[in-house]
Amino acid sequence: MATTSPLLVAKNLSISFGGVRALKGIDLEIQPGEIRCLAGENGSGKSTFVKIVSGVYQADGGDLIIGGNTAHHHNPIKASDAGIQVIFQDLSLFNHLSVGENIAINQLIHRGSWRISRNRIREIAEPQLAKVGVDLDLDAPVATLSMANKQLVAICRALAMDAQLLFMDEPTTALTSREVHRLLEIVQGLKEEGLSVVFISHKLDEIFSVADSITVFRDGDKVGDFNAEDLDEASLSKHMTGREVSYGRYHRVHEETAPILEVKNLTRTTNYTDLSFDVRPGDIVGFTGLLGAGRTELALSLFGLNKPDSGQIFVEGKEVTISAPWDAMTHGIALVPENRLEQGLFGDQSVAANISVAVPDLVSNSLGILRAASVQELSHQVVHDMGVNNKNTDVKISILSGGNQQKVVIGKWMLWNPRILVLDSPTVGIDIGSKAEIYDRIHTLASKGIGVIFISDEVGEIAANCNRVFVMHEGEVLREFREDDMKAKDFKATLAGLIANPDSVSVESGSAPAEKVGE
Amino acid sequence: MLRVWKFVSRDREFGSLVATTVVVTGVLYIAVGGRMFSSLGISSMAIQIAEFGFLALGMGLAMLMGGIDLSVAAAAGLAGLMGAMVMSGSIIPITETNHMLIVTLGVVATLGTGMLTGAINGFLIAKVSVPPILATLGTMIFFTGVGMAVTGGNSVGIEVPEFSALFAGTKVSVFPLMFLVLVVVFAVVAFLLNKTVTGRSVYLFGENEVALRFSGVRTERTVMMTYLLIGLLMGFAALLIIARANSMRIGYGEGYLLQAILVVVLAGFNPFGGKGRISSLFVGLILLQLLATSITAFGLTPYHRNLMFGLILLIVMGINFAVNRTSRAKKLMPGVAAAPTTEAIILAERDEHIRQ
Amino acid sequence: MLKKSPFRMLFNRAMNPMERLLTVVIIAYVAFVSIRNPLFFGPQALFDILSSGAGLMILALGVLIVLISGGIDVSFAAIAVVASYTAVLLARALETDSLLFILFVSIGLGAVLGSINAIIVHFYKLPTLIVTLATASVFHGIMAITLGMKTFTQTDVPESMITFGRWYVWSIEAEDGSRTSLSGYVVITGFVMLVTWFILYRTRMGRSVFAVGSSEEAAKRIGINIFGTRLFVYSYVGMLSGLMGVMYWSRLYYINPDILYGFVELSIIAAVVIGGAKLTGGEGTILGALLGLFVYQLFSNTLVYLGLSPAWSQLFFGSVLLTMLVIIYYRQRQANKKALVFSTM
Repeated sequence: MATTSPLLVAKNLSISFGGVRALKGIDLEIQPGEIRCLAGENGSGKSTFVKIVSGVYQADGGDLIIGGNTAHHHNPIKASDAGIQVIFQDLSLFNHLSVGENIAINQLIHRGSWRISRNRIREIAEPQLAKVGVDLDLDAPVATLSMANKQLVAICRALAMDAQLLFMDEPTTALTSREVHRLLEIVQGLKEEGLSVVFISHKLDEIFSVADSITVFRDGDKVGDFNAEDLDEASLSKHMTGREVSYGRYHRVHEETAPILEVKNLTRTTNYTDLSFDVRPGDIVGFTGLLGAGRTELALSLFGLNKPDSGQIFVEGKEVTISAPWDAMTHGIALVPENRLEQGLFGDQSVAANISVAVPDLVSNSLGILRAASVQELSHQVVHDMGVNNKNTDVKISILSGGNQQKVVIGKWMLWNPRILVLDSPTVGIDIGSKAEIYDRIHTLASKGIGVIFISDEVGEIAANCNRVFVMHEGEVLREFREDDMKAKDFKATLAGLIANPDSVSVESGSAPAEKVGE
Repeated sequence: MLRVWKFVSRDREFGSLVATTVVVTGVLYIAVGGRMFSSLGISSMAIQIAEFGFLALGMGLAMLMGGIDLSVAAAAGLAGLMGAMVMSGSIIPITETNHMLIVTLGVVATLGTGMLTGAINGFLIAKVSVPPILATLGTMIFFTGVGMAVTGGNSVGIEVPEFSALFAGTKVSVFPLMFLVLVVVFAVVAFLLNKTVTGRSVYLFGENEVALRFSGVRTERTVMMTYLLIGLLMGFAALLIIARANSMRIGYGEGYLLQAILVVVLAGFNPFGGKGRISSLFVGLILLQLLATSITAFGLTPYHRNLMFGLILLIVMGINFAVNRTSRAKKLMPGVAAAPTTEAIILAERDEHIRQ
Repeated sequence: MLKKSPFRMLFNRAMNPMERLLTVVIIAYVAFVSIRNPLFFGPQALFDILSSGAGLMILALGVLIVLISGGIDVSFAAIAVVASYTAVLLARALETDSLLFILFVSIGLGAVLGSINAIIVHFYKLPTLIVTLATASVFHGIMAITLGMKTFTQTDVPESMITFGRWYVWSIEAEDGSRTSLSGYVVITGFVMLVTWFILYRTRMGRSVFAVGSSEEAAKRIGINIFGTRLFVYSYVGMLSGLMGVMYWSRLYYINPDILYGFVELSIIAAVVIGGAKLTGGEGTILGALLGLFVYQLFSNTLVYLGLSPAWSQLFFGSVLLTMLVIIYYRQRQANKKALVFSTM
């Protein structure tokens, strides 16, 4: 590359929070016309770095040089003026304002006059929509748009602010594969205009599908800058986690073939269509695919929170309708939800309280009065069985690490002796050590005869933990991998390729009927 | 004695509340003198506490669940009206012999109407998912409307003197019967909330309604039952209101709304739900009653009282805010919004991982 | 090309479901009452509703703006009383009889009181309902103690105010010689509605109000001055309240600082809510508030044509309110279920 002046230079940038060093001296350079990815696990410092660059945090040490000028007393306004725009995962859009207003709003607030005219909005917004190559109704309230279109509005807004350096936080999370392609095209277009786009991500497949170059963060340090073509999933993962990551593969030992759970032609309009599969004791059935594939929606249906429009569910041979979570529990179905903080935990409550909420009958007498002794006994049992570090069950659950919190969430359901355990992205945001321990526990549970449904985005995790895999795409089963299929040498690559390019394969409907099971 | 001390000092807010009450009592005893604390004075204060206490408890329960109940006074008013009407002789004629029957029917009508109001609120909030503030705003207007339509704004007199004698007159030493009933009810509610499964669900609901649902608890049932209980408490309040005045007029008790919110916030209840001790509420009631009575004793007007309550509310909220700020600031990063962001939580997770 | 309805062409948007419902309710009620009592369908009822409702509509506009910004203000009635009462007392003390002076003081004081609300709400980060409940009590209490609660009868009310209250823009003489008049207040209200509309939809501040109500976090991120926006919102409400207070006393030519506060706040908020404004912020239309208030006025003023005493008005209004809440929120509940939205925060 010719010696152009870099858009951004960070020299020895560091910051601490309450005594913990979140960034330990980062050196980084971004040239114009790059598509970079900042890769790292949650807590590695990549998001903190972006917050410093965009002026939300003040660095404790080091220098930040933007467009050749050293930044002093950096703040979001200065960052924006210097051409740095950040699109957070929530897109920071105003749902009740129109598309045009959302695009134009930064300009209107900071550069416009006190009056707002529709013409002015049009003047600002239309060129950006044209640049991005999309046609949206300027007057439509943003709330009516799809996630992908909302993202485009966010991009347009950044462009309207003369962005030179655009940061996007986990941008492909909520997009279908087609929408991801469109996003990449747009980003390529921006690159050609001299903008740089920096993605922040911890998802391996996302990183490889978008980036030219990758900067890896780990524990507040920069591990290094790499060209995307020089890395593969394994080496990137190793850089991100610092360990050789290989998990023990799960093999089913159970002999029984009678399924605990059978799903036939289950359909929920716009969520999923015509799903049929079964789960036998000892199965860990993986469900993977891009977001929007319908997996979480399926999990919620099995737990009574998303009533299917048609189809049947059989638990141990009997047809059931699941109307609510408590109903699911009476049938022996438990769910570890996707959003741990919002759906799985009571942050301000003790570990014991979090555990006992799921098993009211076990901790109270016939009148409903709590028995403190039972609460203690059962919580200690869970903490012990799941290997939670902190043995004191009276502490607030919020002080536990993510991994330990998740152990509690999984453990509390074990008290129910469920027949079917549905895990929805159970190891997101969890450190490596806890991940391995959780996998271990899940294998143990499965080998005791529970049927497990494992929903995940990570190919490595799926490959290691499941004995069968369904790849879903836009609500339908794209392909089923049986145990023999998974033994193939290039299975992981095939799986990754399938997830990234689902359109390359014609959709097969459903898996083989139950009679053929028994391999 | 040690146990009492431990009970009081366990919670810093509770302890300071108790301390404030004790201090205020002392100051007032010296300043106003024995009249306020004579047996007449105490029983007068006690019965006012009882009348207001049921309302406050209802408001507190609603707040524990993260909502607010604007209809408390109106519901009590309607319940009282129904009871008064039964006991006025206009529905069933009063004869010489059926007085106790009428009284019983009156009590049933009052408590029953109270529970009905609770059922309506519960239905709107649990089954229709109307936000509590709006639902109770609507029912407040509706309940008042029913009462106004039925009475045209006129008061309804109770023609069975036994009722008032029983509910307002009966005393156990210096304490009115209904005050003791209040104490018992508070104790029972506190027990239910802390020691039963359903009771703990109320707290958990206020903290994280979604997680509660995901834990398999029948949240709609929890909400419904809580509002039914609130309705019943409104019925109790109503009994007292009509017993004291021996009549009922719609519109009485409207000023209680501000007071109820005040005493609940004063007692340390979190307006967003999930936190609040019933014992604190009881102490808060006493404190507030002392202040209110002293206002009258000093010859000040209801306007002074409202002003004082408003000021106290602001000051208490300010203190709560400052206290919460400093304790949360230790875990929080500079420049971040008051609620912990994912980043903050993740970084906190990381710390724990390092330390463990 | 979609054929645009006349409404759409005028307002540049479609009617929202609440507005539609309210229009139906109004038409149904008017039709029903007119049939039972043809007297109703004359100018008297309408003039009555408009004249007495003009002041309330001004208050409703204030409520609307606060709701859009994501808060709830219950102190506006107290501010109306305090601001206007103080203004009148000051005028009497200075022995001036200038309406402009009274309006100026009242509106100015209203702005000041509103700003106090804004400061407390912003820096305490507490539920606006409770904060404004407290400040209402404090404002009114301070007024009661320092200025007293003296009532003023017609002889003591400033002349200029009485003239103001008797300003009519349209008078119709009936056959029997009686006159029905439309108060000039509707002009003022119309003007305030126009100004409010302009602010909300054509100025940067107005759009910021929507932005803050829609997502305070996002507004912070793009550098909107949150405090400034709040300061504007609550001062504006205060100013409108101050204006309304003067209008109110002038029309009654009887000043009693004990009324208004504690009586209408929640009903006006309810009226604006059934017009489509959401407690969560970012949503609400002037038309909706107008229709909601119109329904409230219908039930407050016109039941007499049905032979019912005014004591029935709250029952009617409460029933309509509950019904509309059920309709609005049941629909939202179903939509949330379908979209798998579990939290309503």
